[in-house]
Amino acid sequence: MVEARGLSKRFGDFLAVDSVDFAVVAGETFGFLGPNGAGKSSTMRMIGAVSPRAGGELLVFGLDPAADGPAIRQRLGVVPQQDNLDLELTVFENLFVYGRYFGLPAKLVRERAQELLEFVQLAERRDHRVEPLSGGMKRRLTIARALVNAPELMLLDEPTTGLDPQARHAVWERLYRLKQQGVTLVLTTHYMDEAEQLCDRLVVMDRGRIVAEGSPRELIARYVEREVVELRFAAGGDGRAGTLDGVGKRVEVLADRVLIGTDDGDATVAAVHARGVEPDSVLVRRSTLEDVFLSITGRTLVD
Amino acid sequence: MTALAARAPAPAPGSLYRAAMVLAWNARTYRRTWRATVTISFLNPIFFLLSVGVLLGDLVDRRGADLGGLSYLEFVAPGLLAATAMQLGAGEGAFPVMAGLRWVRSYHAIAATPVRVPELLAGVLAWACLRLAVGTVVFAAVAAAFGAFTSPLAALAPAAAVLCGLAFAAPLAAVSASVDSSLALTGIFRFVLLPMFLLSGTFFPLERLPGWLEPVAWATPLWHGVALCRSLAAGDVDAAAALVHVGYLLALLALGAVLATRALERRLRQ
Ligand SMILES: Nc1ncnc2c1ncn2[C@@H]1O[C@H](COP(=O)(O)OP(=O)(O)O)[C@@H](O)[C@H]1O
Ligand SMILES: [Mg+2]
Repeated sequence: MVEARGLSKRFGDFLAVDSVDFAVVAGETFGFLGPNGAGKSSTMRMIGAVSPRAGGELLVFGLDPAADGPAIRQRLGVVPQQDNLDLELTVFENLFVYGRYFGLPAKLVRERAQELLEFVQLAERRDHRVEPLSGGMKRRLTIARALVNAPELMLLDEPTTGLDPQARHAVWERLYRLKQQGVTLVLTTHYMDEAEQLCDRLVVMDRGRIVAEGSPRELIARYVEREVVELRFAAGGDGRAGTLDGVGKRVEVLADRVLIGTDDGDATVAAVHARGVEPDSVLVRRSTLEDVFLSITGRTLVD
Repeated sequence: MTALAARAPAPAPGSLYRAAMVLAWNARTYRRTWRATVTISFLNPIFFLLSVGVLLGDLVDRRGADLGGLSYLEFVAPGLLAATAMQLGAGEGAFPVMAGLRWVRSYHAIAATPVRVPELLAGVLAWACLRLAVGTVVFAAVAAAFGAFTSPLAALAPAAAVLCGLAFAAPLAAVSASVDSSLALTGIFRFVLLPMFLLSGTFFPLERLPGWLEPVAWATPLWHGVALCRSLAAGDVDAAAALVHVGYLLALLALGAVLATRALERRLRQ
């Protein structure tokens, strides 16, 4: 569906996307995981045929966005990072107006809009104005809007950023349903749980480059240990972390906590106590993509 | 890899269709917002016509002013028609573009669909044209009822005013798409359009201006619109002069459209 080789994006002198390679195949959910400024949106906008590339090659549906932008956009569904619904119009009108830009007959758009409103659970709001809707409802409406042309490929740029946990789960659930129906999804996120929940395959992006690639499981297996012991210290207590060297396989000292990668969490906790280190709190958990990112880049995903 | 790229046909319905969809969207939005604009686009011009054209005009006529044989109402009504079109056109060029790019970002939504940037702009200008048509026809009908027009050619005056309005809409769309804040627009309305409104022959013949200002007024698009409307209203059309006016206004419209397309491409396709 999408193939990129050496793909780059430049803003003035600044290389926002630096020669990335990736391929998305039909039916999968593919993710770009990375912190703010990694170049995720820039990459998505190039795939969406709204932003010209600075270098490299890119094919979407086998077409070149530089030559066939409108034909590519005809077959895409786009959920942008920043909502751009028509606030003055009603929920239904937003879908209707948008669908008409794809050249679909009014009758068909009306039928689809109705179905999609049910799909995103906004049917009761059909004739309400968009402006007063909650953030989660707007996001779901944007997803419905992106589906109005029955796209072969859907691009979702940070679909749940800024939503409360309940609204996030509602969005995930809809995306999961789409995935089951075989819609190809490409999404960006800086939430590791989102990537783990939804993505079959993902690339980890940092400063315009792809630094790792694989399924969430593969990445965790390749880059980090099975479990993580998290130690929190009272303010100013981080100095004690020095004495933890060698206690687990990998020790990361962050501003507010110390993370120890290990294959046996309980044994590591015992070892920590044996060294006389007394943290305020101790937590043993499974490793996540967050730990993968940390081990590759030495930084956290969300600051 | 690019060698493998198959050339795809453009999406089925044509450019005209997509521009029409943008026009339809503007009309739909207007249904929600027209109340807020009805005073500025219909009532204000008519109040002007009443107070300046009829009431002040009566005083002016008693002083026996030389207006080329026209009463003051006959003189000022076509001027106000063009000036009204200027204001409507400038507003329709400026604020929807600001909203579409920044305030609501609806142009960014459209940019992700098969609609191309020139089609988007065409739809926006077509909507401006429609609003101008309605606004100028209503104004002209009221002016005619007051007896401001002396020639059947006055029926063409709204068309001339629409052209004048578009000659403002397109350049203002270009400015709106280029600037980073609406402060620049406020500045243009205050320091360019308002003086133009007052000094471009709407209210008095240009010869009354200080000598150095007269050629400046001649160069303003509003004066060309005013002169065109006035010649039609009085049935006193000089073909060569009319051609210059129309040519000037069309050129400004075209230049504005080219610059606006470029500025919009820069914003939407970066
Ligand atoms: N229009 C732009 N002009 C200049 N710099 C930009 C523009 N868009 C993005 N950037 C820069 O490019 C980098 C990547 O941005 P972006 O692709 O939005 O990252 P992400 O989506 O991963 O947060 C950032 O440093 C950002 O400041
Ligand atoms: Mg982003």
